[in-house]
Amino acid sequence: MTANPTEDDLRVIAEQVWSSYLDTDGASPLLPFPAQQRRDDVSASVSVTGAWRGHVVVSCSDTASRNAAAALLGIEHEDVTDDDVTDALGELANIIGGNVKSLLPEPCALSLPHVLMEKTAGRYPSVTEVCSLNGTWLDESVTVSVLESTADFAGVSAP
Amino acid sequence: MLTMVIDDSRAMRLILKRIVAQLGFEVVEAANGKEAMDYLTSTLESGTEAPGLALVDWNMPEMNGLEFVTAVRAEPRLRSMTLMMVTTESEQSQIVRALAAGAHEYVIKPFTPDAIIDKLALLGLLPNGVAA
Repeated sequence: MTANPTEDDLRVIAEQVWSSYLDTDGASPLLPFPAQQRRDDVSASVSVTGAWRGHVVVSCSDTASRNAAAALLGIEHEDVTDDDVTDALGELANIIGGNVKSLLPEPCALSLPHVLMEKTAGRYPSVTEVCSLNGTWLDESVTVSVLESTADFAGVSAP
Repeated sequence: MLTMVIDDSRAMRLILKRIVAQLGFEVVEAANGKEAMDYLTSTLESGTEAPGLALVDWNMPEMNGLEFVTAVRAEPRLRSMTLMMVTTESEQSQIVRALAAGAHEYVIKPFTPDAIIDKLALLGLLPNGVAA
């Protein structure tokens, strides 16, 4: 596959992830429209290298990150720790990133996930956004973005 | 059956553990391939029961799943161990690599419990009385 992934691709992938792990009873799906206020309190990303280079980023509000950790780990929201959030959001980024990778030119390799618990706007230099899914989950902001690197192989921005 | 769940995500280990524990399997966990190999080596050296099944993630630190499968297949005393990759690596080329290295089955994340159970049924590993 050589075409870039689209928002529709992200929506299908996200639906599969939510129905498998975060919304197994179908009561609280990820809604494919932006939350009232987008928040990027927590972000988890995996990097793709090889025939295509860039990042797949899952960012969300702090509350959404804790909801995700609680759902994945089967614990109460108030019992969620920062380590739980790191583990859960990292795995979500890994799963979504791996499925995005399957839509990209081969060969590509996926990095281990990286999780940041702080506002992340502008954290990825030399990228363009290929597509994004701005969603709402349990009234909280969840965004999935595919960012393609514009830097050359030495890490320098192409002219 | 003693089953090893190998994944660097604690959440994913828990999800897989719940699925196989419901089938009556006992579970040991490892956070990467090296930790898993260290455990298997200790069982071989001590003569204790080695797992008959391992559910193996691909992308992990220290030793990834493909390296783990290769290492297990290089150890004759672990020949009977069934290896199932459970991974987000979904390209056909990766599936071929894992199966060529010695994995018996391959499940792509995200998965439902039924997907795991169906694969265990294909491998003939479901306990008596449990239907896929």
